[in-house]
Amino acid sequence: MMPSTLEHKLAKILTKRKKYKAIRYGLYIFIFLLVLGSIQTTIIKDTDWEKIGTFGTVVKALARFFPPDFSLFPHLVKPTIETFMIACLGTFLALVLAIPVSWFAAHNITPYKSITYPIGRAIMTLSRSVHEIVWGLIFVAAVGLGAFPGILAVAMRSIGFISKLTAEAIEDINPGQMEAIRATGANGFQVILYAVIPQILPVFVGNTIFQWDINIRRATIMGLVGAGGLGLTFHRQLVMYNYGGVTTVIIALLLLIAIGEVGSYYIRKAII
Amino acid sequence: MATLEVKDLRIRYNRSGPEILKGLSFNVEQEDFFAIIGPSGAGKSTLIRCINRLVEPNSGDVILNGRNITKVGRRGLRKARRNMGMIFQEFNLVERMSVMDNVLSGRLGYIGNFRSFLRFYPRADIQRALELLDEVGLSDFVDKRADELSGGQRQRVGIARALIQQPQILLVDEPTSSLDPKIAREVMGMIKQMSEEAGVPVLCNIHDVQLALEFSNKVIGLQDGFKKFEGPTKKVDKATLDEIYAMEIL
Repeated sequence: MMPSTLEHKLAKILTKRKKYKAIRYGLYIFIFLLVLGSIQTTIIKDTDWEKIGTFGTVVKALARFFPPDFSLFPHLVKPTIETFMIACLGTFLALVLAIPVSWFAAHNITPYKSITYPIGRAIMTLSRSVHEIVWGLIFVAAVGLGAFPGILAVAMRSIGFISKLTAEAIEDINPGQMEAIRATGANGFQVILYAVIPQILPVFVGNTIFQWDINIRRATIMGLVGAGGLGLTFHRQLVMYNYGGVTTVIIALLLLIAIGEVGSYYIRKAII
Repeated sequence: MATLEVKDLRIRYNRSGPEILKGLSFNVEQEDFFAIIGPSGAGKSTLIRCINRLVEPNSGDVILNGRNITKVGRRGLRKARRNMGMIFQEFNLVERMSVMDNVLSGRLGYIGNFRSFLRFYPRADIQRALELLDEVGLSDFVDKRADELSGGQRQRVGIARALIQQPQILLVDEPTSSLDPKIAREVMGMIKQMSEEAGVPVLCNIHDVQLALEFSNKVIGLQDGFKKFEGPTKKVDKATLDEIYAMEIL
């Protein structure tokens, strides 16, 4: 027989568990209704059921993409290289511009906290919340067609990611090392150089390589808004109804992305 | 004239908070090995950090060889800091830098931005760094990264980094609490010997009373921001210690 104090506690625990059970089941039902509601409004209502194809027409539509149009291959070399270069230069530009942004946006080293910290954070948020296609449209409008707006768009998108992770790494550094360098009579620049950069370099380099990998993907779609590279070729083939050509471009894209994937793996391994 | 004069030093970390140092005054002479002892939370670390203004004191004066450090501007403060070597409890080496670069970083106050960016130090500095590393027994570890060293080795790099500044005083903050007893004694011996050779007085806060009594010639007993005792080490007896550590016993 349990002592009465324990019995009392047990009763309390049991009622508590019962309450949680009710909450949990309530939550399940809520999520289920949410999914059901979404399906109702987006799929069932929005789809034009009159015109939807049968399984056969879907297969037929897909079949048009085969076989790939290999005659296009010689024309793909230049745009492929261009795409690759957009990614590389865009990443490089982002990497350089991310340095002052992360300096501003790390609250422990930001030079004038009430001014520079919000500026840094704002640039970060702006950069990350605008999609690369939108950046592409903006820069095509600003500097014209070609690879250059693509580079700028990719860079703008990357700055936010690199600087956010870098600023967070800066905020997590060991303050003792900063204190020690400051105690030698070093100035602010020297403190950053000797106590901050060595501590965050691995994170910074790792993120940059990761961004480079992602930027190759981003660069492939830049052409859709006229910002150079393979995307432009893709778009042209599509509007010419040359579906075989579209497939060839997709193959080239996949190859390029695979190169980026493998490349970033080995670079990361070599550096870190 | 005393090398370091501290007059009526007061600090509180925030306006409504308690006062950490409540009007401390003392003098450090050229040949002193000054030990600051006292229970945890007495303000020992804060005191050391107030002297090179890693922590800003609210009022009071810190005068090093006739120059009032609490009154100087940013540039003057950097000049003043370069005259004070500091040794830390957690060593505070730049972990991802080589032993040599860590020692050389003690010279940062003397070289410009461009040179420090390229890590281009004068030959004399590099030579001095090697001599100091040899003196602390680490001349074979020059190219090792600081994070590959043991605790005792790291602290010895810390000693070399402080001394290459050619300081007028050594500020030492609990140099031994991260070390085992045997190595702690070695490190203390090294600090004492090398500071004597360089003719630099030492202001060392240390909670290990035994080590304090063994190495120092003067002692300050701190309790709750007040100076409970000041005098030559040989005058410290059981009664004094009981008084300094009274709060801890309660």
